[in-house]
This record gives sequence, structure tokens and C-alpha cells, in this order.
Amino acid sequence: MQNCLRGTTFVVAKAALVAALWLGVMPTVGQAQAYKAPRTADGKPDLNGIWEALNTANWDIQDHAARMGPMVALGAAFSVPAGLGVVEGNEIPYLPAAVAKKKENSEHWLTADPEIKCYLPGVPRATYMPYPFQIFQTPQYILMAYEFAGASRTIYMNSNQKSPNDTWMGWSVGHWDGDTLVVDVTSFNDQTWFDRAGNFHSDALHVVERYTPISPDALDYEVTIEDQKVFSRPWKMRMPLYRRLEKNAQLLEYKCVEFAEELMYGPLRKQSSK
Amino acid sequence: MSHRFLASMSALPVVIAIALLAPVRAAGQVQSAAEATPTVKTWTVPRTPDGQPDLQGIWSNGTLTPLERPRELAGKQFFTEQEAAEYEKRVLEHNNADRRDNQDAEADVALAYNNFWYDRGTKIVPTRRTSLIVDPPDGRIPPLTPEAHKREAARAEARHGRGAADSWEDRNLGERCLTRGAPKLPGGYNNNFLILQGPGYVAILQEMIHEVRVIPLDGRPHVSQNIRQWLGDSRGHWEGNTLVVDTTDFRDEIRSNAFNCCGGAGANLHLVERFTRVDNDTINYQYTVDDPTTFTRPWTVAVPLTKTPGPIYEYACHEGNYGMVGILSGARAEEKAAEEAAKTGPR
Repeated sequence: MQNCLRGTTFVVAKAALVAALWLGVMPTVGQAQAYKAPRTADGKPDLNGIWEALNTANWDIQDHAARMGPMVALGAAFSVPAGLGVVEGNEIPYLPAAVAKKKENSEHWLTADPEIKCYLPGVPRATYMPYPFQIFQTPQYILMAYEFAGASRTIYMNSNQKSPNDTWMGWSVGHWDGDTLVVDVTSFNDQTWFDRAGNFHSDALHVVERYTPISPDALDYEVTIEDQKVFSRPWKMRMPLYRRLEKNAQLLEYKCVEFAEELMYGPLRKQSSK
Repeated sequence: MSHRFLASMSALPVVIAIALLAPVRAAGQVQSAAEATPTVKTWTVPRTPDGQPDLQGIWSNGTLTPLERPRELAGKQFFTEQEAAEYEKRVLEHNNADRRDNQDAEADVALAYNNFWYDRGTKIVPTRRTSLIVDPPDGRIPPLTPEAHKREAARAEARHGRGAADSWEDRNLGERCLTRGAPKLPGGYNNNFLILQGPGYVAILQEMIHEVRVIPLDGRPHVSQNIRQWLGDSRGHWEGNTLVVDTTDFRDEIRSNAFNCCGGAGANLHLVERFTRVDNDTINYQYTVDDPTTFTRPWTVAVPLTKTPGPIYEYACHEGNYGMVGILSGARAEEKAAEEAAKTGPR
């Protein structure tokens, strides 16, 4: 994956440059909708395509300096890159009781992060993991297929159907607000995290995502996080998402269960057997 | 709904589940006679805005028809209407996991998933064929090639001395939550599919283990053989009103998939699927398995996809795989008990 990512950095970086120019011109995307996206047959902005975040939010959604990775043997190849946070104002308003839990998560990242076990990553983390995802847009359903873990979610447009149960990827109901796709996500379990830094939520999590085209090859992605059991007030993350421009871009399999089995089941292997 | 088990109170949740999940069909609607007969009514295939036949929506391939024709039905390609009804009744009774007529512990554990969890459908395929395999005519997976026999023997040899659960690698791909394969055969539950069509793509979400198949329609070549995938690499095109999907680049390990569509085919599998919408509620679906290093001839399966209201459920397989921990722990505990018994036993 790392190679794959490196190989595409130039293309993505170019898109990033274009987007950065756009963002520079329009710091408040929501207010000044200068860009008019191409339309689908039903007149909605066309979000179809393969997209990817280009940031280090999966390491830590807050500001963080570079630091050594968890494995000595991997040296510089798998250490932690620095990153500007994606949290608005950089502060996450944890309730006092939740601060300790975040710290504990962070300290026990390697055993506690659901990513390590190849669990479904939840929303919004799935969006900014360092893997592409693809949007299939129709008037009734929007399917988001993520390369990581083969995760996916179905967004029911303008639906009042309730979730039949709690889930890893949430229950997504969408509608259009002008040129913005708004997705209201509920019915989460309390098992997923926001990043490898141990930022977490409870099963009271309520996520509102806003996807707004800002150029042919970039979306503005804004997420509001609300969880009264963990946070004292709603807070926001924001980042651009870039189109994968390779002519032959396609999602490949990253069915990572087999990469986690030794870790998860190794102690239960028959001792004499290899 | 005249089946006896449905009348019992304990089956009430099943009735509800079936009412919720069963394909919606207008009463009295004639089911299309599938493979041979194209629709003759005035129905015309709906189209997407860009003119493709519209396959979109949530579909189920649940059916009581077995993949292979049971031996006792050799020579019988189709049921009569009455035979079909009797067969369905028999299968439903046999599958009824709410039975507790044999009350020893082992039988009880084997029925741990009671009927509430199952959603196989209640009918055989509308053609009343006795197998999903339509070719060869005997409804059976064709014989293996000599090469495949040799390979199987070598594999059995390599497994010699291993237990059923020495490691997770001794368990099948489905139990490990790695894949249920593409295409996914009808099974006990979660037989649902969401099909969406975007510009240049068809996406098929298989509810079972949330596997998404992305099928580009732009004529691009397959990825190189260096990239082998559990679901292969699919490319699609339209032949008239039929979506034809060509898939290669499978991983060889799909052979060991107990839930496999393709009966032990491996890396050389060339899969060709055909989707044809024949009425509002039905897609005629066929796939052909061609792996000359495994089978003496290609073979073809036909199973209709029937519209179902949904929604698609999240099947988080790996995340809830307590079964794997249980299987491995159980095997280790048995070994330990056997060791203890050997120490103290013969005295």
C-alpha cells in the first residue's frame, strides 16, 4: 500500500495544488459557491468517482509533530509523519471523564485501535484513511465503497427509514442542500475510533457530513461530531478530498483480515504446528 | 404459507421476517419462465438516464433449489408444479431449525441458529429446475481434470496429520470472514444485493460480508496477473439488454472456499456472468465457470435475482467472529484434555 500511495503522490499532489489555490481564493466555501459542479441526469452535483484524503488525520486528527513509529525495525519507513490537524480550532471538547479514556486509548494504541484488527473503520474515519474510496451516486441510493477492509455504506436518500440495529459504519440518510450532499449518520456502536491517537466516541455518536464540490477534482468535506456522552459540545473537522486522476484508477482489494489473524489468533494456534 | 411449521407460535418471528424480507410480488402475477422464454408481454426494460437497461435496486437470490441436482433426482431436469410444492414443503421441514423433536445435546447445539436467523426463501426457482446448474444437462459440476485430481491429492498429502483447527488457516474462507466469493451463491441468510449504475460503472454490494464488486464498463483491460484478488478483477459490457461481466485474476486460494460459487476453481478461473432484467421484479442471472485446469468442461449456473425491499444490513463478519476464537480454543482444550487423559489414563 505504501508503494501504491507513493506512486500516486505526484498526481494527488497536483490535484492538491489546484485545490489549494481554490481554497485560498474561497476560504469560506459554504458562503461563496463560485464553482458549479457538473450535474447528474437528475440535476444534482456529480460526486461519482474515486476520492482520497491527502493528510495525516488517520494518525491524529489534531496537530501533531513527527515522531518515531512503534517498531524499531521499521525505522524511518513507518514512523509517524507530522500533520496539521483537521479539527476546527484544534480542540476536541472532551468531557472530563472522557479525557482519561482518550489518554488510555493513545497509550494502548497498538492493542486497542480497531484499525489494527482490520475492523470496519466507522465514519468519518473511513473517509480519511490513507486508502481511496469510490462514490456511486443515484437519486435513491449512494454507495460509498472504501478500499480499507472492503468497507462500505449505503446512503438512503430522503429516507425516513430507521436503522434496524446499531452498526460499525452507521446508518446514513442523505439529502441535498444546494450543491452539498448532507449525510446524517446515526446508530453507531461504541467500537470505532477517529484516529490512531485514540480519539473516540460512544454509541451516542451523531455525525453530519457535508460533501461540496469545490473544483472538478476536489470536494470540501466537513463533518460535525456530536456525542453527549463524550463531548461537551458539537465540534467539526474539515478537509479537502481529492479525485484520483490516474486513467486506470480503480479500487483494489485490501481485505486485511488475513493480515490481522496472526495477531488476533496466534496464541490459539496449536503449539507444534506452524 | 400453508407449511406446517409456519403455523406454530414459535415460528412467529419467521413469519414476520419473511413478510418483511420476502420478494414483493403482486398477487397472481405470472412469474417469467426464465431462461428459455423471453418476456412476451408489453413490458419494456426500464433504462437509466444514459440509456443502459436499469438493473438497480435491492435484489435477493435466495432459493431452495440446490446448486447440484440431488443424486436421487438423476435424469429429472424439472419438477411438475405438484412435485415442486412437495419438494419445497419437504425442504422447509428439513431445514426447520426450530424443531426440538430430537432432544439430545448434540442435536440441540446443531440447531443453535434457530429459524429466526434464516432467510433462504421458501420457493425453488420459477423454472422448477431441480438444480441451479443448467449446463451440463445432468445438473452436476463436471468431473475434475487429471491435473486437478493430482493437485487435490497433493493438497490432502500436505494436510496429512493436521487437525481440523490447528490454526485459523485450517478453517474455510467464510469462517475466517475473508470472503464469501463472487458471485455469492444463495445461502442461509443475507442473500441480498444492492446494484447501482453510475457513469461507466456497475457496483454490486453483496450484503454477506459487505463485499463490493466494482465493474468498470469503459473497456479498460484487466489488471495484470500480478494483482490477484479474492473477488477477481471484473470488466463489464452490454450485449443488447444483457450486462456481461468478465472476471479473471482470482487468487488461487478461492479453491478452498466452502461457500464457493465455482466448485473448486482457482487462479485460472475465467468467470462470465450475464444479467438480464426480464420484468420489474426479476433479473435473470447466469454465470459460467471456465477453469480448464480444474474442470473437464465449462459449466453454467442460473439463479434469478428477485426484487426485495431491503434495506441492506451491515454484515460485520470479522468484527463479531467469536466463533473463530471458540473453535481454536476448543481444539486446544480438547488436546490438553487428551494429554491429561494420556498421563493419568492407562495406570
